[in-house]
Formats: sequence, C-alpha cells, structure tokens
Amino acid sequence: MSFPVFGVPTPPTAGKATDAAVQPVDPMAHLVLDHVSVHYEGQTQPAVVQASISVKSGDFVVLVGRSGCGKTTLLNTAAGLVTPTGGAVTVDGRNITSPGADRAVVFQNDALFPWLSVKDNVGFALKLRGVPQQERDAAATRLLERVKLDGIGGKAIWELSGGMRQRVGLARALAAEPDFLLMDEPLGALDALTRERMQTLLLDIWAANSVGVLMVTHGIDEALLLATRIVVLAPGPGRIVRQMEAGFGRRYVGGEPVRSIKADPAFNRARAELEDSIFEGETA
Amino acid sequence: MTLSIEASGDIADAAVGSVPTEPKAKPSAKRTARIASAVTVTGLLLLWIVSAHFKLVSPVFLPSPAAVLWKFYSVATNGFVDATLWQHLLASLLRVFAALLFALLVAVPAGIAIGVSAVGRGIFDPIIEFIRPIPPLAYLPLVIIWFGIGEPSKILVIAIAMLAPIAISTAAGVKGASLDRINAARALGATRLQVIRHVILPSALPNILTGLRIALGAGWSTLVAAELVAATRGLGFMIQSAAQFLVTDVVIMGIFVIAGVAFILEIGIRRLERLLVPWAGKE
Repeated sequence: MSFPVFGVPTPPTAGKATDAAVQPVDPMAHLVLDHVSVHYEGQTQPAVVQASISVKSGDFVVLVGRSGCGKTTLLNTAAGLVTPTGGAVTVDGRNITSPGADRAVVFQNDALFPWLSVKDNVGFALKLRGVPQQERDAAATRLLERVKLDGIGGKAIWELSGGMRQRVGLARALAAEPDFLLMDEPLGALDALTRERMQTLLLDIWAANSVGVLMVTHGIDEALLLATRIVVLAPGPGRIVRQMEAGFGRRYVGGEPVRSIKADPAFNRARAELEDSIFEGETA
Repeated sequence: MTLSIEASGDIADAAVGSVPTEPKAKPSAKRTARIASAVTVTGLLLLWIVSAHFKLVSPVFLPSPAAVLWKFYSVATNGFVDATLWQHLLASLLRVFAALLFALLVAVPAGIAIGVSAVGRGIFDPIIEFIRPIPPLAYLPLVIIWFGIGEPSKILVIAIAMLAPIAISTAAGVKGASLDRINAARALGATRLQVIRHVILPSALPNILTGLRIALGAGWSTLVAAELVAATRGLGFMIQSAAQFLVTDVVIMGIFVIAGVAFILEIGIRRLERLLVPWAGKE
C-alpha cells in the first residue's frame, strides 16, 4: 500500500533511516482490524462494513468522517467493547474478543470515578492488579507530572475543570502501561484554547511512550496535526473511503512550533484534500 | 412486574435527584412555604390548646398539651408499664436497626443481582414485587406461626417491610451506573466481579442510601405492628398498653416520640449521604 504523504519535507529514504534508529528494541505490538463489519441487532443497515485498519507501536492513526460513519463503533471494536459480526480484531496475531489492559480507552466524557480522589483514579488499573497503595501513589504522582497536573492527586474529581479531567483520564489510561491508546474524541468537550494545548500534550505523550494511538475526532485540523495516518470514513453504511499518511505531528515532535506547521502551505493543501475526501459524495 | 419495579425505581431516582441536583426553589417561594408551615403548625397547636382548655372534647380523649408534656417527663423518669421511656425507645431502636442490618444484607445483593443479570432479575423480581404491596399486619400472623412470639419474629416483620425499598433502589442505582465508566474499567483490565465491586456498587451507593432512608421509614412505621404480640418493651408496646387503659396522654406522647425519632433518623441519614456520597449531583 502506498498513501500520499503530507507534511514530510525530507525524502522518504532519509525518513526511513531515522525511523529505524528511533524504533524501540522490544518487538512492536501490532493491532489489526481485518475486514471488520459490525451490524447492531435491530438495525436495518450495518454500522461498519469491511473496515481494515493497522496500528503499530509509534503510529498515530486518526479516524475522521461525518456523523454516523461508524468511527466510534470501530474504536470500540478495537477496544473489545463491541464484538464484530464479520472479520476479526487481532493484536500480534492473537484474536481479541474482550477489553484488555493492553488497549486503554479514553472517552470523550472523561468517565472518571467521582468516588475516588484524582490519584486513586489514576492508580485504578494498578489497584485492579493488586499493586499496594504506596506504589500506586508513587505511580500516580509520576503520571500526573507527565500530563502536567503536578500536586493535584488529593483533589476530588468534581473540583477539576474539563481539560484537567481529560488529562486525568489520560493519566489513568497510561497507568495501565498499554501498548495502544484508544481515544474517542478525547478533546471533543473542551474549549478551543484548552484543546490546542491538549493536542500538543497528546503528541508529547505519544512521542515519549512507544504507544500506538487510535483516535476518533471531528476536527480536521486536529486530525492533520496529530496523525501519522488519517483514515477517512463515510456513512451509509459506515466504510473506509481513504487512508492517507501525514507527517505534521512528527514535525512538532522534531521541534517545529505548531504555528509554523499550520502556516505551511502544505498544511492548507492537505486540509483541503482531506475535506474533499470527507465530504465527497455528500448530497446537499 | 418489571414495569412496576421500574416505576418504583423512578420514584427512588426522583428522591435522589430532589436532594442536591434539582435547581433550588427561589428564596421567596421557599420563605412563603416556610411561613405557611409555621402558621399551620401554630394554628393546630392553638386549636389543641383551646379545645383542651375549654374542654370542647373530653380530656379522656384529648388531654391538654401540658398534660402530654408532663407525661413525657414522668414516663421518662418513672416509667410506664415497667420500663422508662428510654428503655422503650432503646428496645424499639434495637429492633429497627437489627432489622435494617438484616434487610441490607439480603436486599442489597438481591438488588445488585436484579440490576446486573437477567437471571437475577428473573429470580428476585417476582419475590420483591410480591412482598412489596403486602401490609405488615397481614404477614405478622404467619411469621408468628412460623417463628414464634420471640424477638426474631418482631425483627423479621420489620425487616420484611424494609426489603423491597432497599432492593428496588439498589437495582435502580445499578441500572443507572454509567456505561462509559463500566467500559473504562473493563478497558483498564477489570474482571466482571471487579466492575461490580469497584464501579457498579459505588455508582449505586446514592440510590442504596435513598433506599435505606425509605426502608427506615417503612420499618419505623411497622414497629407498632411488630410490637403487638408478646412484647414487654418498646414504643409501640407502650402506646398499645396505654390505649388499653385509655391513658390517652401517654398514647399521644408516644406518637410524638415516634415522629421525633423518625425526624432525627431522617436528618442522620441525610448527614450520612453527604459524608458517603459527596459527589452526588456534582458530576
């Protein structure tokens, strides 16, 4: 497969050479959705038909598309929360039928536990594994620093702003030390300014951990800025209409400021092309 | 059957919601209601004082407020039917709380079973719906035939009255647990049991406490029935003994004590709610 590549100024061969040097030593985890179809009971039309997506460690795959195109269904299928009616989901060749700590999920509505303090929320995955309180607290402190929320471990969930809650949700997902981070519109409920800061935080965290990310978003700029690959879906029934590579996120990780990336004419061209593929075939 | 459970669940939900989530009434409306309440209570009290003073009703039927107040003091210090007011009160409270403990141990797991599994719902739903509408006086004789006239029968009668409200509220709370939170826990590696223990149970806690409050009310109002048979102490027993000898002032005093204790328990549970589920309504 070859996809058009946006935003990567260096020749492909040079890029590959540096990529190889950066790769983690341990074997890469590989999440595959192989011709996945989902037909919910009682629905006339399937939610998703024959969708194939591959996410490796270090990939940042973003799903975009109009409402009803099955983005969330695909993400939940990858998480193991929805069982596909056709095709298969595998991790390193292993069939996935239920959720697992190797694929942590971050929801749009943060889904934090209000009866637990911030640090107990973050340490939840460790508690499930029987890790003692002291170690959990140490891990929570570390993770909260990583999402730039130092010193709020003792607070109650309802004392936090939307952006802070979403970051706590992220820290909670990272505590499970997942191979994959599955995010369903994690920034959807945030205001524009918070959203921009969260985007770069997501890139920082993605770059610092060798995780593979699968993320659903409505934001076209967001998809372009974050993704290494963008998967475009169309509704009626939900299906993949296009997959394209992008490299703007890598440029940010490489040290280029977001403003300069977004000012690049290549970014605007890519946005126009992405918009075209999203709205292609739409009547009215 | 399911329909009525769900309807009752809604009532429980509404009870939960009415405490912290609903927008508060305007201060002026609140004050109007308070003034109306104060006027009503004062009016009734005046009516009582006047009719007792002018003996509009025979004192045998309606003793004066002063006589009732005096009885409160005399029963508290000297006792009535071989026990002081406090001993009667303690006997009743012990019964109600023993029954509450028993009801919680049975009804919370039953409510969880109804909420999380179709089999659980199939098993417990008909039982709860059967028990719910039966007045305690109706099953009291059967409980006595089966378990005798001892203390266990009295506790059981009160406990049966408490089962349905707790089970129904718990089931409503379990069903209302956020799917996102359950999924988040599953994706973090939680087993089915861990989801119930760490997500569903805490989610249902506000509803369980509401159920507990309704149950305590139901239990407290069953008290007199439970103390009908072979009791030697208890507020219900005290009132019935007094009624048999037409000691109306003790009867009225007993009614006020029961109402007062119910009021204090209600406040206690509201405190407990604020302590245990401070997040309710703040999400």
